[in-house]
Amino acid sequence: MAISNLHLRIVLIIILCSSTISILNAQGHGPLYGLQTPTLARGGVDLNVASMSLSTENETSYMLRYLFSYGITEDFQINLTTPTTIERLNNAPRTRGNSNMPANGDIEASLWYRFFSNAFGVGKRFEGTAVLGVSAPTDDVRGQVNVGNSIHGAISTGYASRTWYAWLGGGYQYYFEKDNEQLGDLPYASAVVGYRPNIFMGDYPKPDWRIFLETMAEFPGDNKYNGQQNFSDSRSNKVLMGPSFLGLYGAWGISFGALFPVVQDLTPSAVKENYRVSINLSYWL
Amino acid sequence: MKKIALVMIIALLGTLSSEAQIQKVDQEVYGMDCAPCAYGLERGLNKMDGLQNVRVSLNDGKAYLELSKNNSLSLSQIQEEVKKNGFSAKKAEVVVEGTLINKNNGYKLVTGTETYQILAIISDDLNSKLKSGKIKIKGIVQDVEDGELTDEWKIEVTEIL
Repeated sequence: MAISNLHLRIVLIIILCSSTISILNAQGHGPLYGLQTPTLARGGVDLNVASMSLSTENETSYMLRYLFSYGITEDFQINLTTPTTIERLNNAPRTRGNSNMPANGDIEASLWYRFFSNAFGVGKRFEGTAVLGVSAPTDDVRGQVNVGNSIHGAISTGYASRTWYAWLGGGYQYYFEKDNEQLGDLPYASAVVGYRPNIFMGDYPKPDWRIFLETMAEFPGDNKYNGQQNFSDSRSNKVLMGPSFLGLYGAWGISFGALFPVVQDLTPSAVKENYRVSINLSYWL
Repeated sequence: MKKIALVMIIALLGTLSSEAQIQKVDQEVYGMDCAPCAYGLERGLNKMDGLQNVRVSLNDGKAYLELSKNNSLSLSQIQEEVKKNGFSAKKAEVVVEGTLINKNNGYKLVTGTETYQILAIISDDLNSKLKSGKIKIKGIVQDVEDGELTDEWKIEVTEIL
């Protein structure tokens, strides 16, 4: 009996989700995709596992990603994230993955610096965080282009309370040239609004849920190919939007959500996206 | 003879101050908005020697601490732990036992580790109960900037126990 492609995808997503749950880990207590600000306590450790999928008009990727974070001080945090790529895209859009994670097969080390924090009320905080990261690819070729190392920088600011949350950020990823080829760079911005309904206002140690509306704007540059005549240096413009949910209980956190393209003004060589979905599990040691 | 008496007084004061301590703290915490935040703070506080019971409330924005007898914890150690977790420690309601000293028309409560300057008391009833020597008080310790924690505090006395 033949198994359809759709069934295979559903099975794969279920396997991904259950494997993630069995490992019991995730990501920060902010948004799923957008840039965020919270940093760990001094000496704090956060372990994360994310499963993420990106679907284009032609194919779909599946990846597990692990993130280890350590709080050097309450304002400095180091992170290391590594991927297990299950299904790569032949023609991959240039994008970031989940918050603080690449979307492709890069190993990335980053430093977060919370450069200001103003705790001005019970549960209320206004803060800003800068991110600087370096990454090395686990694949030689991505979308028929040689992949080099890259650097990533971002800055974000956010407001948190017991009811409302908001984050605004912008970042830039630059891939270095490798063997006369170069992946396009990626300027991007994110905006997130979050809300916790009254029914989830139970006090610690009761579980705590939040809903986010996330928006990503990405402006990926075109790739440079070996022997290419007349490189145009043009950019695509994309805006994606979608909901995400975050549940927290004691030292555990789970978040899941999806982004859907709202605007896709693409260069001829760029690929059209259908959706991105992800689930993250976190454990704070 | 005078020297012997002086040594005895010093020894007595030393005994009093070694028994002196904070017994209860309701520490106001700003900026704590999520369950893992509360979990991290609770766990950090629980690691400190001298705490008998710790409860963290997100909705109140407070850490409720009961300290064990003969603890040697100071309020600045507790507030430093709050800061280490990325939050801001504000006012604290404390029950503290120590030696009350009347100096320059003002009172100071000295414990084994810290000094609490008693702010002007309006209530005649409270004023009449203030006497130099060993005393247990309840009061509100005023907020100090997180970067300026010392072993000296200002306290508004609400009750003499």
